[in-house]
Amino acid sequence: MSSVPALPAFRPAGVLGAARKYLRIFRVSLVERLAYRADFLLGTVLRFLPLVTSVLLWSAVYRGSGNDTIEGYTCRQVIAYLLLVHVSRMFSSMPGLASGIAREIREGTVKRYLVQPLDLQAHLLAYRAAHKVAYIVTSVLPYAILFWLMRGYFEWPGEPMVWGAWLASLLLGFLLGYLMEFALGLLGFWFLEISSFLYLVNTVSFFLSGHLMPLDLFGGRMAMFLKELPFQYLAYFPASVILGRESTESMVRGLLVECGWCLAFFVVGRIALRFGLRRFSAFGG
Amino acid sequence: MEGGKDAGIRRGLGSYFRLLGAFGRFSLNREMAFRGNFLMKVLLEVVWLGILLLFFHTIFRNTSRIEGWNEYQYLFFLGCYYALEGLIETLFLENCVEFGELVRTGNLDFFLLKPIDEQFLLSFRHIDWSTAPKILIGGALMGFGLWELAEPVTLARLGGFLVALASGIAMAYSFLLMLASTAIWMVRNQSLMELWWLFSSLMRYPRDIYEEPWAVLIQKVFTFLLPALLVVSVPAEAMVRILEPAILGWTICAGFMMLLASRWVFRKAIRSYRSASS
Amino acid sequence: MPVPSASRSGFAIEASHLCRTYRVGQKKAGLLASLRGLWKGETRTVEAVRDVSFQIGHGEMVAFLGPNGAGKTTTLKMLAGLVYPTSGTARVLGYTPWEREDSFRRQFSLVMGQKNQLWWDLPAADSFELHREIYSLDRARFDRTLGELVELFGVEKLTRQPVRELSLGERMKMELIASLLHEPGVLLLDEPTIGLDVVAQSTIQRCLREYNQRKGATIILTSHYMRDVEALCSRVLMIVQGALQYDGQLSGLLDRFGRKKLVRLQFEGAVPVGLDRFGECKITGPVAELNLEKSRVAQTLSAVVDMPGLVDLSVQDPPLEDVVAMAFGSGATQP
Repeated sequence: MSSVPALPAFRPAGVLGAARKYLRIFRVSLVERLAYRADFLLGTVLRFLPLVTSVLLWSAVYRGSGNDTIEGYTCRQVIAYLLLVHVSRMFSSMPGLASGIAREIREGTVKRYLVQPLDLQAHLLAYRAAHKVAYIVTSVLPYAILFWLMRGYFEWPGEPMVWGAWLASLLLGFLLGYLMEFALGLLGFWFLEISSFLYLVNTVSFFLSGHLMPLDLFGGRMAMFLKELPFQYLAYFPASVILGRESTESMVRGLLVECGWCLAFFVVGRIALRFGLRRFSAFGG
Repeated sequence: MEGGKDAGIRRGLGSYFRLLGAFGRFSLNREMAFRGNFLMKVLLEVVWLGILLLFFHTIFRNTSRIEGWNEYQYLFFLGCYYALEGLIETLFLENCVEFGELVRTGNLDFFLLKPIDEQFLLSFRHIDWSTAPKILIGGALMGFGLWELAEPVTLARLGGFLVALASGIAMAYSFLLMLASTAIWMVRNQSLMELWWLFSSLMRYPRDIYEEPWAVLIQKVFTFLLPALLVVSVPAEAMVRILEPAILGWTICAGFMMLLASRWVFRKAIRSYRSASS
Repeated sequence: MPVPSASRSGFAIEASHLCRTYRVGQKKAGLLASLRGLWKGETRTVEAVRDVSFQIGHGEMVAFLGPNGAGKTTTLKMLAGLVYPTSGTARVLGYTPWEREDSFRRQFSLVMGQKNQLWWDLPAADSFELHREIYSLDRARFDRTLGELVELFGVEKLTRQPVRELSLGERMKMELIASLLHEPGVLLLDEPTIGLDVVAQSTIQRCLREYNQRKGATIILTSHYMRDVEALCSRVLMIVQGALQYDGQLSGLLDRFGRKKLVRLQFEGAVPVGLDRFGECKITGPVAELNLEKSRVAQTLSAVVDMPGLVDLSVQDPPLEDVVAMAFGSGATQP
């Protein structure tokens, strides 16, 4: 307990007074703690209740189908996947990045990147990375509890290489997520109001990245097509790696292609930034 | 409470409908002032529907039933969910979100001065037309599902469906209104939108999926304490599955009780606002 | 204008011994703060209005004066039925305001200069139309009233323009029109001219006077601009720290609190030194202004009239603002 709220002036009358004082402090502190817990609980419920409904839904789907596997996934694997996707998104999601950039452009504060020796792309990357670290550190405990509660659904791979690839795919996922959102935000140089568009892209990305369900389940050509897009690296790919569904070869290939996408979006971002800033200074901000 | 009886005498139901019509008209005028944004929002809803249908289609490629719901029964359920959510979003969501803002800025004062029921005025004043297409699309999905099922729609089923749907709407609205009313007493960390999303995620799947032993508690809580699970399930069941009098009765009862409770909370909130303001 | 028989004779507004205290506690984000708010020790009681009584006749125009936070707005809100008094009674057009009967709410308007009730993105005409529906006004009467008001305020060309595109003054005129559409018998105005330029201010003053004369409406107004008060109200109620300090003619306020005169001296060259021996002295260029007690004016004049280099001399009442500020100060230990 760091701070106790200020209490009104109090005239202690001997032992009884002192006892009343500490009782009062105790009650205030208790209320504070409980209220904090209630907030925390609500937040946790908010985050995990949809997960519970997904687990139930998929159990029902598998019961209904009468098969043990669908497109090579057991029910337990689908559920494990849905949990692991949360970890992927924890790294790759960039809430408010693109809209923040667009706002800076609209309000003209992006000017400072013209006058100061500061690169927008690098600056925001450093900023985001710091925020991600803080966010991930604070999320470790609830996630650890969740994974422990649902430990029955997981079969963790033994090979350290798979773990290494998972870590690499998560980090690359962060980078790719950042570079994609960054490039999107720069559209603000050319269009005044892009917030609804960004919302649309987020919605589509939610689906294309495999957040909703494993991409394989769409079956055949659809699944193949979705796996050609960069979005899959934001959610599907890391989860697929740690589920042990990727061969060594496909793992390496996936990571290399992901690097390629990163490079591509890096270049797109550089070019767009360059032309955007030029346009911005031409219009006088 | 204040002036309720008087309002009833002076103002017929017709004038409330006329006022609702006026709110709809002027909200549409406002949306049309920002046509591009409006179209974008509609597009977003269509994309969401596409995702939902694809999800649905993928699932039924691999199974023929989800807890007793076959594909077209489930499609009917989905349509019902979509229409009901659309209706709530069109009529109430924006108004309830804005309620907190009105409290914060003190502009709530103006609404309390009008010679009309405050709850009516604050619940309906903005109609969000951009989500209205969801109601039509949901209706179309329901129609398609029924047509494919090719079972005759009896009067009893239709009646059960309509009554349960009305109760479902009442429950969802009451939940929103109660949440919005709490803005008078506290500034929430979780926004109203997020809490509505939580509620809506409970409506999204048939209540039968909560039959698993470990989920029974969740099922009981959200059936009897905060009956979110009934909102879409019961009307859809009444129409395309079994018309079960007990659960239908409870749904109607719960809808009615929540409506009364929300009105009570709302009045309490307004009263408390008036006591606290200076 | 239908007026209940109870108020046909007597006063439009009566308040007796109105008191309003409220507890203030800090409202912070989170469940936490609100739970802590339940803790009674965390709040402190403020007396916003203390034992205020007055009567206002039909058709009178009265100003509430007082420094910020003195209780003017709280009193207005009690008369509008928005706020419950802690004790005391009030009758407005024969109704108890805080019972908020629909028939009462049809007969008055509250306008707050800092707030806006028109639909921001729509033309004012649409908001007026909505107002008609809310008040269930008869079409013919509504059209006639609207026509009159639009003409009175001189905004014929602006009603079809989205409100957000209007200037502050135009917006305020629209707000006033909206509040007059149902022809209220009592009009409560809280800072109706705040932030407006002089031209818009005087238009609004003229229109309010006109409305008052045409309909015999009772008007109460609070304003920081003494110009408004001078133009509109002969009677003022001064509230300082929640208590009624003065109720009477505006001129009486000057007599009572305007104990000083301003003596203005203009010199040919620089102002000679030592003028401050007469009293409070302000020098700007070749002009000196002495702020003197009334009783000392004659004596001072005879002393300065022979000063070398004096070219002009005048004696003025201090600005109304200063008198009022002084009155506020005298009624309270703090402004």
